[in-house]
Amino acid sequence: MATASTSDFLVLDGVAKSYGPVQAVHDVSVRVAQGEFLGLLGPSGCGKTTTLQMIAGFEAPSAGQILLEGRALAGIPASKRNIGLVFQSYALFPHMTVAENVAFGLEMRRVPKPERQARVARALDLVHLTHLADRFPRQMSGGQQQRVALARALVIEPRLLLLDEPLSNLDAKLREEMQVELREVQRRVGVTTILVTHDQQEAMALCDRVAVMQGGRIVQIDAPWRAYDAPADPFVADFLGRSNRLLAKLDGGAAEAAGHRFPLPAPLAALRGEVALAIRPERLRILPAGQPGLPGMVHSRVFLGGFWLVRVETPCGDMLVTVQNTGTPPAEEGAAVALDWDAHSLRRLEAVA
Amino acid sequence: MSASRFAPAALSAPAVLALGVALLLPLGGIALLSFQGFDFDKGIIPRWDLANYASLATDSLFLEALARTFRIAVIVTVICLAIGVPEAWIIHRMAPRWRGLMLLVVVGPLLVSVVVRTFGWMVLLGGNGLINQGLRALGVPGAPFRMMFTEFAIILGLVHVMVPLVVLAVWASLGRLDPALARAAESLGAGRLTAFRRVVLPNIMPGILAGALMVFCLSASAFATPAMLGGRRLKVVSSMTYTEFLNTLNWPLGAAIAVLLLLAILAVTLLWTRLVERRALRRLGVG
Repeated sequence: MATASTSDFLVLDGVAKSYGPVQAVHDVSVRVAQGEFLGLLGPSGCGKTTTLQMIAGFEAPSAGQILLEGRALAGIPASKRNIGLVFQSYALFPHMTVAENVAFGLEMRRVPKPERQARVARALDLVHLTHLADRFPRQMSGGQQQRVALARALVIEPRLLLLDEPLSNLDAKLREEMQVELREVQRRVGVTTILVTHDQQEAMALCDRVAVMQGGRIVQIDAPWRAYDAPADPFVADFLGRSNRLLAKLDGGAAEAAGHRFPLPAPLAALRGEVALAIRPERLRILPAGQPGLPGMVHSRVFLGGFWLVRVETPCGDMLVTVQNTGTPPAEEGAAVALDWDAHSLRRLEAVA
Repeated sequence: MSASRFAPAALSAPAVLALGVALLLPLGGIALLSFQGFDFDKGIIPRWDLANYASLATDSLFLEALARTFRIAVIVTVICLAIGVPEAWIIHRMAPRWRGLMLLVVVGPLLVSVVVRTFGWMVLLGGNGLINQGLRALGVPGAPFRMMFTEFAIILGLVHVMVPLVVLAVWASLGRLDPALARAAESLGAGRLTAFRRVVLPNIMPGILAGALMVFCLSASAFATPAMLGGRRLKVVSSMTYTEFLNTLNWPLGAAIAVLLLLAILAVTLLWTRLVERRALRRLGVG
């Protein structure tokens, strides 16, 4: 009974949570494999944090059950679940040094002192903080505090690691560095991890799979690149990266928008009538005016280092285009252009207006 | 240019003036008075010596009252902390809609006049009071108990009104506490009680220490409650001062008693902040 296959390491089965009349989480079901890095991604209020709190044991589900290694977690208090948590605020104990913070969980487990010290040293080494063991949290930078929080959660050798918006308090550059480090540490330790975040870039960078949540439900659960490439609905298409919406008349195999006729990919060939299509900014190409393509005019262009973000006004609405920075700037503001794309880059948005 | 140099002085002038006139002036007067002599026939004798203090140093009644005052203040402080700190924590963890109501209930005693509140206790504690009537009706052996005019009654009356001060002081500290701290401790394997003792308690120490100091000072200098519940024979230093001023009319001696009480409380306050508070705060990086 207690044996679960490694693909069912953590199972959420129809989990729901309501606070009085407010339903925060509806019927969330997901299976997490051992060692997997799963992201719960969504805007604030989508139920992702509540879901995490239920796994951690700070909230009890109103319905459904959570199984860890085949055993139901219901009724087991947070302190007995052996689940490591990293909080958005880090929640380091301000009156304890770094070493004391990390040792706390081992102390609670009555690990003898010599072993405790050895394990604390190993955990600090894992996050490259050995030299700061005697500092207090207030004497450290945000990135360092965040690594202490990670070491403190990992030193207890948790069955599960839960990360609640762990990087959102860091500045952009540090966040990217910490993403790499977090992923590396997770791989090395091999702990099954669940990340809650509203940052799609963070979820895509870190996770094996992302569960995109909206209004208390999981809308899509997939590998990040697959969810990005084939969003299940307009919400996912918009939440994972940017997406352009193109309303076109389909007449079997080809389509027409603002006088421009273009071919359709095979999966869309059978559709007819007005259909909303989606296309990613990096899949659009800007051509000089007069060339075959959707006619338009450059409204604005923003330089972002590695690429340019160009907004093109077309009869079908504004289109965002990302252009690789190859050393020559793209068409100037006000210039007449044409937009072109490959047929296989087109997706159909489920809910058509 | 020059106006801005005097601005701080000018801005603080009203407060300095009020403090000076309303507090330091009378206090200085009391201090000067305490060095003068007294005769039952002639009244205050203008002279300058330490005779009043010398006589107090050997006055067993005064020393007894001084010991009682501090004993009561310490016991009241300890009980208030034991009740107030957990009370604040429990209210803090309540749902927001209950919190406001509970705080109002806690602060309740402060909203009632000290005389009314103390009369309430007299009604309850008297030899024929409500509590003794109840105990007798239940057939408790030994009832009725003597509760009025005991240190127990004074402590009870003081604790009743002082607990809110601890709750409010700790409440302010709890408001600054990261709510995730207790959860972090629990996720690391600490039970609720351990999480409170090891993580929450050290971090709300500033509030607890401030509350303790407030309760101690107010208890040691309290007048109405000890005077009414302690009666004429169970004197504390402040009620003794009152007697000297208004019954015996020996103002210089009363002034000397008042000065000694002030110095004693000041000494405890300084020791407390130097030794206890500073150490606790240094650990938190506040001091």
